[in-house]
Amino acid sequence: MIKFILNGEEVTSNANPNERLLDVLRNEFRLTGAKCGCKEGECGACSVILNEKLVNSCMVAMGSIEGSTVMTIEGYSKTDRFTVLENAYAAVSAVQCGFCIPGMMLASERILAENPNPTEEDIRRGISGNLCRCTGYNAIVEAIGIAAKEGKGLW
Amino acid sequence: MVKSYLATSLKEALEIRGRESITPYAGGTDLMIEAHDDASYLFLNKIPELKQITVDDEYIRIGAASTFTEVYQSKLVPQILKDAVIEIAAPAIRNLGTIGGNICNGSPKGDSVLIFFATDSKLRLASSKGERILPIKDFYLGRKKLAIQDDELLVEILMSKTGLDNYYYKKIGARNALAISRVSFAGVLDIKDGKVVNCMTAFGAVSDVVIRRPDIDGMLIGKTIDEAKAVKEKYLAAFDEAIVPIRGRVSAEYRKSVCMNLLKDFLESNGI
Repeated sequence: MIKFILNGEEVTSNANPNERLLDVLRNEFRLTGAKCGCKEGECGACSVILNEKLVNSCMVAMGSIEGSTVMTIEGYSKTDRFTVLENAYAAVSAVQCGFCIPGMMLASERILAENPNPTEEDIRRGISGNLCRCTGYNAIVEAIGIAAKEGKGLW
Repeated sequence: MVKSYLATSLKEALEIRGRESITPYAGGTDLMIEAHDDASYLFLNKIPELKQITVDDEYIRIGAASTFTEVYQSKLVPQILKDAVIEIAAPAIRNLGTIGGNICNGSPKGDSVLIFFATDSKLRLASSKGERILPIKDFYLGRKKLAIQDDELLVEILMSKTGLDNYYYKKIGARNALAISRVSFAGVLDIKDGKVVNCMTAFGAVSDVVIRRPDIDGMLIGKTIDEAKAVKEKYLAAFDEAIVPIRGRVSAEYRKSVCMNLLKDFLESNGI
């Protein structure tokens, strides 16, 4: 039995310690916002926030997260910060197919949480592990910049 | 039967490691790529002794389970290591991956490993029976062959406190983020009163093990810049012979010429 905090609630999982957090989130908890793109940490589609840090959930074995805090896009979407980012992404059409977006949003959150006034370079570095194959990065970078301005004080 | 343990102290981890055949898991970023259904892990990511970064009279001591992000953010860590660590993969991987894992993976492409070679760093290994300190060069026996015993864990990496400020580091990859080094090079040249007091170079991703040849680098030690210039051709020729790249994703010839170009640039940037 593995106990951890998932989107603010204490949960227990019956998963094996060697199972991937990504698979457990999707299959056991039915939180399908985190996507499986590559299963080798190269694409960022499975990004979640673990103990206040962005991680690839495909690279995390369940046994390592006992007592940890996990936030997925489902939990994050209930926050004011999410709303600011959502509006900014929409304003510049930074979403097309949407597959990378849950991960991209959580990467955006960590960029702004670590530095509420990021430069373009900071933003590009912050999303450098999140691949997008249709929108293109410029709109996403612009959206994060807009969120930084519009959400002043939130981060 | 899948058995795993989340150890909360080094003592507990060493006891488990001593009695069970189990895979040490620090950050998981290499292990989880090839995760098997029957993998048994000894989780090391919540052991305080393995996550400390401290300094004593001689060394900066970096806990093996420190993540790349933690290493980068530490005020104690030398800049040469930070330069290499910030180029590894992407933020999400740097938040999980550890320097101990980078070393124990055994790859000659490990970006932090290169720096530990170029700085003659030492490794502190422990088992429940005792501990030992080993120069990193003696830890790597061959491709994926390491001098670690079945009951041992890597506890700390010991870097020299002084003499690392004048350095040169270049990673050649296919892109900036999430790139595996095609060739990497680091050099440290410590000059005092116009004399080279130490020269350490290392070449990564070219051979089965990172290339570090103190015998050749020794040619420059004790020399003034002018004297070093006089032996430059001999020095370069010695490395030209010593570097025998293996063919990988890129050709051996390409790797060789990049190595030599970087070595020359390292010398030239120091007026040699």
